[in-house]
Amino acid sequence: MRRVIVSALVLALATSAGLAAAAKKYGKPLTVKETTKISDIYAQPDQFNGKRVKVQGPVVDVCSSRGCWIAIGSDKEFQTLRFKVDDGVIVFPMDAKGLNAVVEGVVSVTTLSVEEQLAAAKAGQDAMMAAQHAGGGDHKEMAEKMAKEKKTIDPASIKGPKTVIMIKGEGAEIQ
Amino acid sequence: MNWRHLNNVLHRDIGYLAVGLTIVYGVSGLAVNHKADWNPNYRMEKTVRRIAPIAATERAAIIKEARARLGLTAEPRNAFRPDPETLRLFYEHQTYSVDLPTGAVIVEVARPRPVLYEMNQLHLNTPKGIWTFVADLYAVALIVMGVTGMFVLKGRLGLGGRGKWLVTAGCVLPLLYWIWYLVRG
Repeated sequence: MRRVIVSALVLALATSAGLAAAAKKYGKPLTVKETTKISDIYAQPDQFNGKRVKVQGPVVDVCSSRGCWIAIGSDKEFQTLRFKVDDGVIVFPMDAKGLNAVVEGVVSVTTLSVEEQLAAAKAGQDAMMAAQHAGGGDHKEMAEKMAKEKKTIDPASIKGPKTVIMIKGEGAEIQ
Repeated sequence: MNWRHLNNVLHRDIGYLAVGLTIVYGVSGLAVNHKADWNPNYRMEKTVRRIAPIAATERAAIIKEARARLGLTAEPRNAFRPDPETLRLFYEHQTYSVDLPTGAVIVEVARPRPVLYEMNQLHLNTPKGIWTFVADLYAVALIVMGVTGMFVLKGRLGLGGRGKWLVTAGCVLPLLYWIWYLVRG
């Protein structure tokens, strides 16, 4: 009996080690074949606006509140792109930071006017959240959390209209 | 076997089966209800360290210098520069954010809360797949328990007696709250 238990444990450990090495899939399967460079999206955002793309890069930040977005590092330094999913569709773990992600979704380009940025700062939002909810909606709890963590827009930093680029999607693979 | 006996057997046995999941969903429910005040999944710690400023300009040299000054012998999972003055080094559960000109380092540690993390994953159906089926079954079991629970006793303590007032109170509570919520705007 003991031998059976030990064998089962060894098998379980070996399986979990194998699973850990494989890419972990989140949400819907990826369907786009070609990978787009994040730097290309930044170079010509209007050309990609509304297009379905697949991008890849290191996970450099994760939504600590709901796990509903990850920030992906670009192929060029100093660029990140947020991959946002509807709340609850995918919950990204905090320990995905530093792992490589391949994600698929639709590029969304929003230009926030100075007035919109000031309103977002007043509401306790950051630029990404303001762009995400440009159409309105009740996100009081999230805004309060951002205000508490001082992640809101600094009104002094507003110099002019701001273009916010993100990918809204349903599927990701992280390894 | 009369219908009440069958009702009571169902109520009792489904109750036994559902105890484990009820504890999981209940404890996790309390935890995620208050997520505006705390992180129910991870224990987050932020500490600040200070190292000598890093003058290197090449990415590889910056990483090498930062690791040496922080005493990090292990290879990071990844390194990233969100802006020219910041370097982030990613390790399992730990992120080092180095401000290159000043040498100020924010060390962020995020460790899953034991047991609660797993409970929350199940409660929020993060695994999806077969767990959706289990969660659906549990939801049906709760409904069956609620309905059969009304008919366990008869008489003064049953549905015909004080039971009807308690059932009404339980149904009116969410209704009243919803009306108040709509009126409040």
